[in-house]
Amino acid sequence: MTAPAIREHPTETKWVGKSIRRVEDPKFLRGRGGYIANRALPGMLHAALVRSPYAHARIKRIDVEAARALPGVVAVVTGRDAAELCDPLPDFGPDPSKHTWRLLANDKVRYVGEGVAAVVAENRYVAEDACSLIEIDYEELPPIVDPEGALESGSPLVHDALGSNIAYERAFRFGEVAGVFDSADVVVEDRLRWHRSGGQPLEPVGAIASYDPATGMMTIWENSLTFTSYIFMLANTLKIPSNKLDVIPVPAGGSFGSKLWAVKPAAIAGMLSKLIGRPVQYMEDRADALSNNDHDGSDRIYYVQLAATRDGRITGLKLRTIDDYGAYIQFGVGHHGNALAQVTGPYRIEAVEYTVQAVLTNKCQQGAYRGFGSEVNNWMVERMVDLLARELGMDRREIRRKNFIQPDQFPYFIPTGNVYDSGDYEAVLDKALAMADWDHWQREKVRLREEEGRYIGIGLCSCQERSVFSATEFWFWFDEPAAPVTSMPESVTLSVDALGNITATLYSCAFWGNSPETMVAQLVAEEFDVDPYSVNVVYAGTNQGLPATGPGGSRFTVMIAGAIEGASTKIKKKAFEIAAHLLEASADDLEWHDGGIQVKGSPDARKALGEVAIMAHLFKHSLPAEIESGLEASQVFDHPYTTMPSDDRSSLGVFYPFMGHACHVAVVEVDPETGMVDFLKYVAVHDCGTLVNPRSLEGHMVGGIAQGIGTALLEEFVYDENGDFQSGNFLNYLIPTSMDVPEVDCGHHVTPSPYTPYGIKGGGEGGRMMAPAVIPAAIEDALEPFGARIRELPATPERVLAAIEAAQG
Amino acid sequence: MKSAPFTYHAPRTLGEALVLKRELGDQARVLAGGQSLMPLMHLRLATPAHLIDINRIDELNYIRTADGHLVIGALTRQMEAMSSVVVAEKSPLLKETIGLVGHAQIRHRGTIAGSVAHADPSAEIPATLLAMGGELVARSASDERLVGAADFFLGPFTTALSEDEIITEVRVPVWPEGTGSAFLELSRIYHGFPVVGVAALVHLSDGRIDRAAVALCGMSGTAIRAPGAEQVLVGSEPTVDLVAEAGKAAVAGFDPPGDVHGSGEYRRKVGRAYVRRTLQAAFDRAGGGR
Amino acid sequence: MSDQVHVGVRVNARVYQAEVDARMALVDFLRDHLGLTGTNMGCEQGVCGACTVLVDGISVLSCLMLAVQADGAEVMTVEGLALDGGLHPLQEAFWEKQGLQCGFCTPGMLLRGYEILVENPDPTATEVREKIAGNLCRCTGYQFIIESILEAASRMRAEATSG
Repeated sequence: MTAPAIREHPTETKWVGKSIRRVEDPKFLRGRGGYIANRALPGMLHAALVRSPYAHARIKRIDVEAARALPGVVAVVTGRDAAELCDPLPDFGPDPSKHTWRLLANDKVRYVGEGVAAVVAENRYVAEDACSLIEIDYEELPPIVDPEGALESGSPLVHDALGSNIAYERAFRFGEVAGVFDSADVVVEDRLRWHRSGGQPLEPVGAIASYDPATGMMTIWENSLTFTSYIFMLANTLKIPSNKLDVIPVPAGGSFGSKLWAVKPAAIAGMLSKLIGRPVQYMEDRADALSNNDHDGSDRIYYVQLAATRDGRITGLKLRTIDDYGAYIQFGVGHHGNALAQVTGPYRIEAVEYTVQAVLTNKCQQGAYRGFGSEVNNWMVERMVDLLARELGMDRREIRRKNFIQPDQFPYFIPTGNVYDSGDYEAVLDKALAMADWDHWQREKVRLREEEGRYIGIGLCSCQERSVFSATEFWFWFDEPAAPVTSMPESVTLSVDALGNITATLYSCAFWGNSPETMVAQLVAEEFDVDPYSVNVVYAGTNQGLPATGPGGSRFTVMIAGAIEGASTKIKKKAFEIAAHLLEASADDLEWHDGGIQVKGSPDARKALGEVAIMAHLFKHSLPAEIESGLEASQVFDHPYTTMPSDDRSSLGVFYPFMGHACHVAVVEVDPETGMVDFLKYVAVHDCGTLVNPRSLEGHMVGGIAQGIGTALLEEFVYDENGDFQSGNFLNYLIPTSMDVPEVDCGHHVTPSPYTPYGIKGGGEGGRMMAPAVIPAAIEDALEPFGARIRELPATPERVLAAIEAAQG
Repeated sequence: MKSAPFTYHAPRTLGEALVLKRELGDQARVLAGGQSLMPLMHLRLATPAHLIDINRIDELNYIRTADGHLVIGALTRQMEAMSSVVVAEKSPLLKETIGLVGHAQIRHRGTIAGSVAHADPSAEIPATLLAMGGELVARSASDERLVGAADFFLGPFTTALSEDEIITEVRVPVWPEGTGSAFLELSRIYHGFPVVGVAALVHLSDGRIDRAAVALCGMSGTAIRAPGAEQVLVGSEPTVDLVAEAGKAAVAGFDPPGDVHGSGEYRRKVGRAYVRRTLQAAFDRAGGGR
Repeated sequence: MSDQVHVGVRVNARVYQAEVDARMALVDFLRDHLGLTGTNMGCEQGVCGACTVLVDGISVLSCLMLAVQADGAEVMTVEGLALDGGLHPLQEAFWEKQGLQCGFCTPGMLLRGYEILVENPDPTATEVREKIAGNLCRCTGYQFIIESILEAASRMRAEATSG
């Protein structure tokens, strides 16, 4: 595949670009959103899990008799039972047979919180009572907790079969790395540490499974459904025929990636329902979600160097990153694919060496968290650019300007092979600086230090926000991948009924709190000149569904726009044929106008869509012979711009082409006695191409920034040196309240994508992809008199004090 | 997370409650606001066989003054105390403290006495009670005694209450006219549990400090007075250097346990800074100034 | 083993009588026993505020209250905001200002907003921001929620003066 054709975008749109009220909202406002916990089936039972209190231990004995005997308990399943009932869970890791992931721990537990047994009872109260009656003898094993320790042979093995805790290790080189570093005038280097945090949406994951023994059909409702083409893997796990599984999506109360691929809860519910022959609901609660969500965020150490000329042109980036994947590695190192998509940031850096060492430890595994590993790369690059600026005595704005990819250089291929489709980074920077009144705050910084002894700092970041991933980023890590998949589509069915009313059917759990129904309504309204609130958006399960990847990687809006465009084109083609017949004209003489089809130049010769529709549905004999009854069309929209990696992996190809960009400016005050950080000003300017609903995107910006603040200052899944989990409740895992985040001044810039409908790019992750980069920059600026360097996130107050002391000592 | 089963009792009078407490002893926990106990029960860290719900005992809901004390019944909600003009007048420190406890929904149900009985070492109200020299009325079916705050907090979540006793009243001595007081705390998120909190009261006579009390939470296994700071203060004139010295002296003897929110060493640093700042604020309000 | 208690409670203008487990939380009673699933559970520890309802007009965390403690009380849940099938001005305002994304914190936010505006029909943005600090939102970053509550305040003041 080569690049798609460059599109011409309409100069005027009626609905795209309008901040209409969301079509999703009324049901949620009334408390009738249909979350999974609100659904019940007749005879439904409830499951609860017993979880390991140890980081690493053999299970010697499980006694479930007392639990089974408790009135109200219907079944108790141990890990051993589960291993017979079910096959391992789907695993896209490097070596699934050696880091096997099961529904429940079988022979040993590998992290605090790993499920060990499941109880099914009449209600959750009784199920938990029974859980406390289960007796388990563990033989504790030494845990491996330190990711650098996991590199060492002789470290306790998380998976004995793997023989090592290094699940994957590889160095990639793009461009003339050695030459660039040898000839550099300046090389700055640092060790950076990013600790794991996670999405922790207010609604945890949940599933209801209903197995019908009479038909062998397994129906599962879940607040997670993506990559539907791969759902046969869940059927395999459940040991049922792949065409006897139907997974039906329900709205999710937030996700931020943590519901990207929540197969385990679905599998657990399915296993239990099949065993018992009754519907079973398995809802994770907050304790489950914190210790065991299977979607912890990246947990990385970077040893990184930046090479530059003495006038500040960055020539090379060289890094080794150790990423702590926890006890399993379901997505392989796809997180680094997200990084490699934009590894050089918005800068014209021509040489990159990227060494990734994925290690396993006795912790919950990683999954997706808003940014999926690219937000970490953003932070790393910006930390180094600031370091370089400091080293060269250059203004942080000027060094960025100097290195920006210029508007006339797009589409721009970065050394890894990925493409940036369009952008105007200086315009975004200028807007952000103006909105933030950079010069004013520079003066305030000086004034407040001199007059009041206060420490104010201004941070700046210019970073990318990639959107719409392809399949290749999951396998280009291997020279001979087991499954070099290339499909990553999104689908829609548009159906125009006999009265001309339109229904749009989606095929994944598209709703996470992003606005997929509003996107669909606006896009369909744009196509058909209907009232967006008249469009009915519904969801179908996998069994009758079309392939759908779902939200994630900020891909949904772009992909559904492509699908809607395709389906609309098909419908209009058929409608034109019918109208031509009815109007006794040639289809070439007709045009679409304002909800109907008319003869060009003769607006009286016209058929509204509804008139065409009723003919299509009811009056077969009035149509041309070759036209079938009905008026609906489906479109499977495949990823529009993917190219294959080269055999030698000197290029990874194009895999994340629609590249947004943002600039954040943050003004903070740091208390050098306590390390506490307060916000005085926060500006965010994003360029996500054409916006379908600007208000909605702005809401995601602000929400993402709040999560980014959590990542930068507050949130961390802490494991002590014994692997004991310290973050098992919301008193320890700190989520920002309304008083912990500033008001955000949002700005927008639009450089449309040349390749997508209307020039849309994805933008839902952007806020969180920037805030962690700008906040340490601001803290460091405030602490400039101390020379402190902020290398570690979250920058807890204690770490901030330590950074001051390290600089002074 | 659901609590383990229990037998539920809802006495309508104090007498009934005390008889129950005597019968059931440590098998029973008292449920007042529930804002501290229920989370523990949901995690099954507390699994009492019996709950004695005292929320129906209207006679325990009062705020009044009596012989130089502000007297608060055990069932008085934090929010009521916070908005009470009596509390505002007689103990502005207590009002200020309650305003820092959690958020509105918590204060709507949580009680003053409940926070005291729970004795979380990070909790604010015990520290203020300690600083002010408060007392609890502890009643059993057969007895009533007054326990000074200084004797009440024995360890984390451990108090001097016997297993047949219930707190019925919190008594706070009213400090003399001209007292300046303040409560400041450092918490990682807004109104989260403080890492360190400081309650300070000072009174001046002829420009010299004749009375001072400093208590901290988050610095020890219980709320704790800072006698080192108090000794530095009493008899001296309030100055910037004095409060700094008091801050240093306050934490000199402490070896606070650490957790994810702050190590012991961090708490000492913050404690020192916050004792200084809280005293400064107290002096500003006393008119002691610089 | 489980202790049964009687709960008689008025919820959103309807009276219910039930026998339930003593340990049943108010939130579970509302959701599972009365079928009023609008109130959501986010943590069961009294931190997130998603389960906020009004008991005798005062906002409480329904996960930390026992159902039996609501015996004799009047409870308002999100379902009670607009009994006539329309939308309360708060709901209209949240819709207008996109004060929700996933909607999970929304019922709690609406009821807290309701209480805030009863106490003070004309709050400032700063006051609203502080007053919702007991309700976590993971999606919005709070800004549009604050705007929604202010918008509702404005609409309700206008209705009050015109009506």
